[in-house]
Amino acid sequence: MDGEKTTKEILKEKTPKERLPLYNPEALREIEKKFDTWKNTVVREQDRKNWEVTPHTILGSELPRELLYTPVSNPDFDYTKDLGYSGEEPYTRGIHPNMYRGRVFTMRQLSGAGSPEEVNHRLKFLLEHGATGTNLALDLATVQMFDSDEPEAKGQVATVGVPIDCVEDMEVIYKDIPLDKISASIVTHYPRNTAILFPMYLVVAERRGIPWDKLPGSVQNDFIMEEVVRSASEYIPPKDDFRIQCDNIEFLRKNVPLWNYITLNGYNLREWGTSGITEMAVAVANAIEILKEMTRRGYDVDWVAERLAFFWAPANDFFEEVARLRAVRRLWYRIMKYRFGATKSRSMWMRCHVQTSGVSLFREEPMNNVIRSAYHALAAILGGAQSLHVDSFDEAYSVPSEEASLLSLRTQQIIQAETQVTQVVDPLGGSFYVESLTNEIEVKILDEIDEIERMGSIVEAVASGWLNNKVARHIQQEQKMIADGDIKVVGMNYFRDPNLKLPEVLVHEYDENIGKQMRDKLARLRQRRDNEKASNCLNALKQACKRGDNVMDYTLECARADVTKGEMRRAFVEAFGLWKSPIYV
Amino acid sequence: MAHQKKIKVLLAQFPLETHSRGIITVAGMLKDAGMEVVLMGNALPEQIIETAVQEYVDVVGISTYCGGELALASDLMKAAEKEGIKERTVFLLGGIFPPGNAPKLKEIGFSDTFLAATKEEIVSSIENALVSKKSIS
Repeated sequence: MDGEKTTKEILKEKTPKERLPLYNPEALREIEKKFDTWKNTVVREQDRKNWEVTPHTILGSELPRELLYTPVSNPDFDYTKDLGYSGEEPYTRGIHPNMYRGRVFTMRQLSGAGSPEEVNHRLKFLLEHGATGTNLALDLATVQMFDSDEPEAKGQVATVGVPIDCVEDMEVIYKDIPLDKISASIVTHYPRNTAILFPMYLVVAERRGIPWDKLPGSVQNDFIMEEVVRSASEYIPPKDDFRIQCDNIEFLRKNVPLWNYITLNGYNLREWGTSGITEMAVAVANAIEILKEMTRRGYDVDWVAERLAFFWAPANDFFEEVARLRAVRRLWYRIMKYRFGATKSRSMWMRCHVQTSGVSLFREEPMNNVIRSAYHALAAILGGAQSLHVDSFDEAYSVPSEEASLLSLRTQQIIQAETQVTQVVDPLGGSFYVESLTNEIEVKILDEIDEIERMGSIVEAVASGWLNNKVARHIQQEQKMIADGDIKVVGMNYFRDPNLKLPEVLVHEYDENIGKQMRDKLARLRQRRDNEKASNCLNALKQACKRGDNVMDYTLECARADVTKGEMRRAFVEAFGLWKSPIYV
Repeated sequence: MAHQKKIKVLLAQFPLETHSRGIITVAGMLKDAGMEVVLMGNALPEQIIETAVQEYVDVVGISTYCGGELALASDLMKAAEKEGIKERTVFLLGGIFPPGNAPKLKEIGFSDTFLAATKEEIVSSIENALVSKKSIS
């Protein structure tokens, strides 16, 4: 292996040096000469003085922009090396040759809260009406791994998603749904709840006689989500959570080969509060660390990488968003090819799902949000995303209404069927501006990956508090910029209507009945099951955590023995101890 | 209004709350306004009150987004009463919650609730509430 060298150093060494610039030097000289004359005689003095302007936007990169871009902005442009063709290296123009002509971007809208029975009905309803996959949102107690009868779960069972305490709940949710035909997205944000909940899904398949290698679907399983983005009362140390993330990947890759074992979630990190550069640097740095760890465990990098997927948040700065997707696609290709020596094209693909930015939406004049989200979505499509969720205009203050959800879907359909932007692959490719910005952003992302790797790795960058505090500073600074009007929000701090009326906040009222049903169900389960077996399985899990064995082999045994998610959570805490997430204000 | 010592604020969230952008933003605002901020993070109502007692804070601020705030806020107030700090402490709650719950929250002892607020609004709410607390006690 490459020892102590950082990814940036390795890429610098291994990326082929010879280039074939597109522009002929004589033409470039001529353009430059004319450009100077034009700038000094035609351009007004004040524009010349303010040639570079730094846009201030929510979650923006603060990269300065020139007034005009020309071939001289990117004189070394090598068409084949920098862009090439769609579906071919370096994949800047897209991962598929025909992009959206071949396959329309997936329109994936997340939905569903209530009891396991209600959610089962909802999933079946959606499937009967043309949905091609299921997308399961979990309630907060389940996300945070508390049983429905623990004091922490009080008042929040079955809000914002479905509660799952044990295999029985999973059986009810997926009743009558063919698990080998319908792809299931289970939004387990964290490694620990993936390790706890996914085996319950496997046990359901097992009990129905469906082989695991026929199961299609995805989980999130991102340790940045668990250790940094979420707020929680209990954290295990980052290095242990990173290990569980990798244990899950190893188990899924070996036993459930069609499953997408991770969605590297830049989205939630950026939405929590960071620039588009940090969003991508952190997700890619995590991916690099995963591949290093899996290589260390003896696996082939192509075999591991072919099911990696990313999740990004496009926000307000339109061309920056297009450039970011193109930049990270090329960077990922370069990392896979030159840092890890991948040989299969699929493992060099930066496949991504995109959700439009929610933090960029406001409660003041909420219909303005429809326009904002449409631009976010258009940027994602011009940037070549595989799958899209458009946020609803009322998300800044409510659980999305039916009207708002439908408008989100309509936004996608209008882009797809009316604007014709999907007819031509990478339509902004070759723009002097977009190509310069793409280059600049690729460099910035790699620089920040370098900064992370110089701290040791992404695991150390989290453990030291570097990432938490970077985000805390960003959030506080951004809030000041909005309050001071340096970041303009139309209708809120810019051209605000003096008679502004804020829309009503609509939130689901809490239904205490489901909480009671779930608590009763747990009491019956603890009566019914073999408690000695359950406790032996939990002990074995704790030992495996300490020994370094793959934890999923043991959470699977727990699931088979009807151990609950809260019991497994506690076993992890007992084995690894607690860690305090460092935020300084 | 002149203060002898810094106003001390405990900011916390209930156990399952996963969103922390709001609480971090408010922590920065209050610190900017010269207050001392203890950012506790997620905890059970009883644990929040235990910390409020230990830290001897003037203000307890709760950030909420995910729901269940009414049930948990009631537990918080019961614990405050039991520990004997309900009368001298200012309680605030902010975030996303059904607006219909605002009067109920005030009834059980919150001096103010915010669906959205500027730094100035929060700071003056705290200062006014402290003045009226002091005039009672």
